[in-house]
Amino acid sequence: MKRWHYLLGIPVVLILVLQLVPNELPTVENNNPGDLIGSGIVSDEVANLLKTACYDCHSNEPSYPWYAHVAPSSWLVAKDVREARQELNFSNWEDYDMLDQLGKLDDIYSEVEEGKMPLGIYTIMHPSAKLSEEQKQAIVSWAEEAMDIIAESEDE
Amino acid sequence: MKKLLFLPVAGMIGLLFFQATQKPEVETYPELHSLAPDMPANVKAVVDQKCYGCHNAESKNEKGKAKLDWDAFESSKKSKQLAAKGKIREVLEKGEMPPKKFLENKPEGKLSEEELSTLLEWSGGKKKSTD
Repeated sequence: MKRWHYLLGIPVVLILVLQLVPNELPTVENNNPGDLIGSGIVSDEVANLLKTACYDCHSNEPSYPWYAHVAPSSWLVAKDVREARQELNFSNWEDYDMLDQLGKLDDIYSEVEEGKMPLGIYTIMHPSAKLSEEQKQAIVSWAEEAMDIIAESEDE
Repeated sequence: MKKLLFLPVAGMIGLLFFQATQKPEVETYPELHSLAPDMPANVKAVVDQKCYGCHNAESKNEKGKAKLDWDAFESSKKSKQLAAKGKIREVLEKGEMPPKKFLENKPEGKLSEEELSTLLEWSGGKKKSTD
């Protein structure tokens, strides 16, 4: 065995072994009657922004890239999507009650404004999801307007 | 040659032990204040005693202040107040507030059953186990 056999062989074997670790990607469901888009509270422009910048993780309809199926990157994808849906799942928008919807919109507002979302690691891999200042502003203003509408419409 | 094998393996094993750790935060209560006038007195009392210590405009707990600032709450608009209520309800139902780390240093900061139901009732939530 030559030195380069080890240098090349060991990482390859390791990667192959990693593939055996069980990992389940969150399922894809394209039929979501309770989705935010379709609830009438979001314009086409903002809907498109949300689709490109948020929906891969915050909805039931992600489009998984090839590396989502290969360990170890698949572990990160699965974890991020799972946690993202728990925090906010646009596909289940109608299931949230008024206070939850308002809370989530308020979080959207601050996360996007502060540039915490979309995650840096996501935009590196998906440059089209990187929001320009105008796009951020569009989402932030939408979130605030939507909050006012929801808060006024369902007076308790 | 054996060493070449050892390093990546040790690296992988090392990763298994990798854990995120958090620094415990010690808090002090600032003095009393006046809360929103339209808030029921019993709710106000609980907030004052159990929440305001970290969630106020002068708080040294940056995260707590950023998440919820009671001083700003009263002057914020309706949609923001309701949003805050929604989030308060969520953390209370999940039992995330006051934080465990905080209670380790300050066990008396824990919400009593009664205080918890007062806050939940106000924020429109249900108790986790009972009814």
